[in-house]
Formats: sequence, structure tokens, C-alpha cells
Amino acid sequence: MAFLETRALTRRYSSVTALDSLDLELSPGIIGLVGANGAGKSTLIKILLGLLKPTSGSAQLLDFDVTRQEIDLRQYVGYMPEHDCLPTDVSATEFVTHMARVSGLPPSAARGRTADTLRHVGLFEERYREMGGYSMGMKQRVKLAQALVHDPRVLLLDEPTNGLDPEARDDMLDLVRRIGREFGIAIIMASHLLTEIERVCNYLVVIDAGRLVRSGPVASFTERTQVLVVEVEGDSSALAQRLREDGLTLKQEDGRILVGLEGESTYDLIRDAIADLGLALLSLEQARHSLEDLFRTPKADADDVALN
Amino acid sequence: MSLSTEPEGSVYDLGYRSYEGVRLGRAHAILSLYWVSFRGIFGLGRHTSSKILPFGLAILALVPAVLQLVGVAAAETVDFELISPDDYYEFVQWPLALFVAAVAPELVGRDQRNHTLPLYFSRPLLRDDYVFAKMAALSTALLVMALVPQAVIFTGNAMAVSDPTDYLRDNWRDVFPIVASGAMLSLFWSGIALAIGSQTDRWPLASGGIVAYFAVSWILASLLVNSTDSELFRYSLLISGFHVVRAFTLWTFDVTPTPVRPGEDNSLTGDLALADVSLYVYALAAAVTVAIALFIVHLRYRRMAL
Repeated sequence: MAFLETRALTRRYSSVTALDSLDLELSPGIIGLVGANGAGKSTLIKILLGLLKPTSGSAQLLDFDVTRQEIDLRQYVGYMPEHDCLPTDVSATEFVTHMARVSGLPPSAARGRTADTLRHVGLFEERYREMGGYSMGMKQRVKLAQALVHDPRVLLLDEPTNGLDPEARDDMLDLVRRIGREFGIAIIMASHLLTEIERVCNYLVVIDAGRLVRSGPVASFTERTQVLVVEVEGDSSALAQRLREDGLTLKQEDGRILVGLEGESTYDLIRDAIADLGLALLSLEQARHSLEDLFRTPKADADDVALN
Repeated sequence: MSLSTEPEGSVYDLGYRSYEGVRLGRAHAILSLYWVSFRGIFGLGRHTSSKILPFGLAILALVPAVLQLVGVAAAETVDFELISPDDYYEFVQWPLALFVAAVAPELVGRDQRNHTLPLYFSRPLLRDDYVFAKMAALSTALLVMALVPQAVIFTGNAMAVSDPTDYLRDNWRDVFPIVASGAMLSLFWSGIALAIGSQTDRWPLASGGIVAYFAVSWILASLLVNSTDSELFRYSLLISGFHVVRAFTLWTFDVTPTPVRPGEDNSLTGDLALADVSLYVYALAAAVTVAIALFIVHLRYRRMAL
């Protein structure tokens, strides 16, 4: 059984189809859920939590059916919503302890784990103060703590860096990565920011308009292409001219030359051409797929390299 | 305190420990929510300012009973009329009604206003479980508000006679109707207050709505019964929160309201006598009202998008 499996999962609102027959089969890991705003990320997370009912299709998380075994499943799930969700007139300690008990922890365990968890997310003396006076960064930490306090097997994070300044954003991402790598808790993290996903996740699911665009290990999205990027100091047009005469396919772009890689001999031809023209080589490397390509042309074949 | 200059996090960081203990599931979740809600109603564990209103109204509901107790204790001979248990809820109906109006909107409104509901409903707790816990918290809080003064009155009345054991022997049968009518009042008013209070996260609106229900239904029902002889309007008292409570209290104490002529007696009891509807009908009406009210709350939470 897969860790997360959806079959033809569909959710329609009156006029919009938020999820359109989504099929997924994933193993535990730090899974990034990427898509533009409105792509269906939050809808998928809410269906997995039982907060929304699917229009049709089925979904299983941790071997529990999300609609028929919701109570059993939710003992092992932690959820950090995108929006603000904290009362202002109680302290973090009181609130997280309460949430731990509602998750099923006995009172003493709830108190002990609340203290541990708030420390793990980096909240110290402030935890006894009312949350109304907290900064955005502190609120996000409490939101994460309440999702983590009952030691869930999977953590569902919806845009965890929402509203944070760059420094707090870095802290939050480090924290999430640590939870996934060191605490051994599976994570499904939705974000519209690729750089965040790239930093934290090891598996990527790209959805757009409720459909699966592509899924795979993050490395497979950034793997090398069969294109060499050449940068020289001096007249790059002359170099391009020479390489064309040598019979290579190429394209000039922003002063760089993209050369189709046809084998070891391609390197030799470039080296000789630069030497003959007396140019200084600044860099020569294989181009990588960029995650940003996914957004520029979401439905384009990822192997389609811009050389034409 | 450690004297180390290292950041606190690294001093105390013992690494993550997983939880291998029991997970108590749904019943425990409901109980936890109930207990926090019950305490929250009286402002316990919150600001002092959250305690002022509930405790103020609790004291108001308690004042007549305490005055009587003090009076009885101080007086050589009791030559004033004692409040009897079956009259007490009518005596303090406004403090009790204002209490539900004050606390019910916050009980359900704060979770809507703070958007805390997704956190609850992604835990082992169904939406109906949430409604159940809130209803239980409000009714038991109201029951405490109703029964504590009754206990004081009972003590006072017992002390007023020369031999308290005689009083106990003669009046222990009152305990059942006191508790039964108190429980009915608590469930009845809690249901209505939640049905109104859960519709909005703005407490002034919700509190106003609940007070308006009590005031308008009381005045309207009384007017209808007193102004016409119509057979249909005899049943108009069934919509009034105060009349219905008065009626089923009398019913549990097995007291029949004495008939009067229109315009002579404008008390709740006078209206009830005039309407001349069997008292058990009011108890039934209260039960039906609670069922409808809870169904409204159920729909409110089922339809809520999170």
C-alpha cells in the first residue's frame, strides 16, 4: 500500500473544478505540492484531512480511507493551515496543550509534549504570554507546534512561510526540513514558491488546474540536459560562427552560447575554437532543468530543451 | 538557571522524542473540548475581564437566595414570605437569560472568529461532536447557575423552621422537581442560545439576538393571549422562553395555575392560567424546540466551508 494514494479524485465547486480526476501514488518523504494559486493544492490537503468531501473518486493516506476512516486517520495527522488560526486571549502553552488533548493525548503527556514541541519550534519564555501579542513568525511557530504536538505520522503544511519576512522564512524552512529529516515525520507541504520546495523537499508533485502535471524526485526536475552553456569574455558571435562551421547545433542567448551536446568531441571542438580565437573561457557547463520551467510552460514536456 | 552563554535552544535541546503512548481518540477529544468550553464560559483560564460578566450575572441570580438565607439566619422569628423553589426560576429569569445571552455567542463565536475550527475538525472530532460538546458545556454551566441558588434557598428554608430535619422530611420530594425543571430550563435555553449564537462570529449581534428573542417572545405571547379569545392564540405562549419555563416548572412541581380574568393578572402564571393549555404540552414544546435548535446548529456547522 502506498503512503498516499488518490484515484480519480475530483472536487467541484458550483462553477470551478478544483481537482480534476487526480491520480497519485506516493511514498513517504518530504513531498512538495507545487502549483499556482488556485491550482488545487489546498483543496487536496483539505480532502486528505476530511475538511472537504470529494465530489468523486477516493483517497487513502497512511492506509486509511480519508472519508470512511477519518477519525482513525486524524489521530496520526498534523495540519498547519495557510491562514491565521490562533485565539488571541490564551497563551501558546495553554492552546497547544488543549490541542494535544483533543488529538487524543492524556493530560500529562499533553503537557509534557507541549513543552518539548514549543522548544523544538523555538518558542521559549514567550510561550506563557497571550498569543495576541505575538509576531507573525511566533504565530507560525505555534501553528507548527500544534500540528506536531501529538507526534503525527504525517504533517500537512499549507504555505507554511505565508506572511513571513525573509529571516523568519529561512527559520521556518529549516525547521520543516529538520522535522522531515531528523524527526522522521512524513511531510506534505504546499507552496507556490519553487525555491522553498527545492530547499526542503525531496519529492515534488506539480499540479495545475486540478490536474497532475508531473511528479518525481526533486533531483529529476533539476537533472542535467544535453546542452552545454558556454560563456566567454570577448566576441561570442565569432565563437558562435566558428562552432557553426564545425557543424554544431547552437543558439545564442544573453551573450551565452547554448551548444547541443553530441559527445566528448563537442567539448574538444569548443576548446579548440576558443583557443584559436584567443578568447577567455568564463564557464562551460551542462545546463540543468530549472524548476521555474515548470511554471513558464506548465504543460510543456520537461525534456523539451529550448534549442530550436 | 544555566549560566551558559550558549543560546537556550542548544542547551536544552534533547532531540526529538516520538510518542509511543496511548491515543485516546474521539471520546477523549469531546471530553477535552467540553471541559475547556465549560471553564471558558466562566472565564476560567482567561483574562479577569472575561470573568466579570458571567460571575456578575451568577451573583445576581444568587442574590435573592442569599438575602433570604441571611435574613432567616438573622431574624428571631420568620415573619416574611419565603421564596419557594418553584418560584425561583421566574424570580431570576432575567439574570439567567442574560447569562446565556452573554456567554453562548463567545462559546461558539470565538472559534469561528479566530478560524480555529479547521484545527478541531482535522483532529479525531466530528462536527456533530463539536456541537455536542458545546451544548453540553453551556447546559451544565446554566444548570450550575440554576441549582446553586436553589441549594441556598433550600438551606435557608430549612433554617427558617425550628427543626430543620422536619423541613427535610417534609420537603425532600421537592428535590426532584427542582433538578428536573432546572435541567429542562438549561437544555431549552442553551439550545435556543446556540442556534442564534452560532450564526455569526460577532458577539454583540448574537447576544442582542438572544436577548431580543426572550424579550419579544415574552411580550408578544403575553399580548396575544390577553387580547383575544381566539382558540389558536392560546398556544402562542409556546413560543415564549419565559412562559414555557414557568409552565414546565409548575408542571414538575405539580402546581396548577389558578384561572383569572383577562387583564387582572399579567404575571407569567396569570398568562398560563388564561391560556389554559395542559402544562405537559409546554414541556413537549420545549423538547421539540431543543431538537429543532440543535438541528439548526448541526446544519450551520455541516455547511460551514473551512
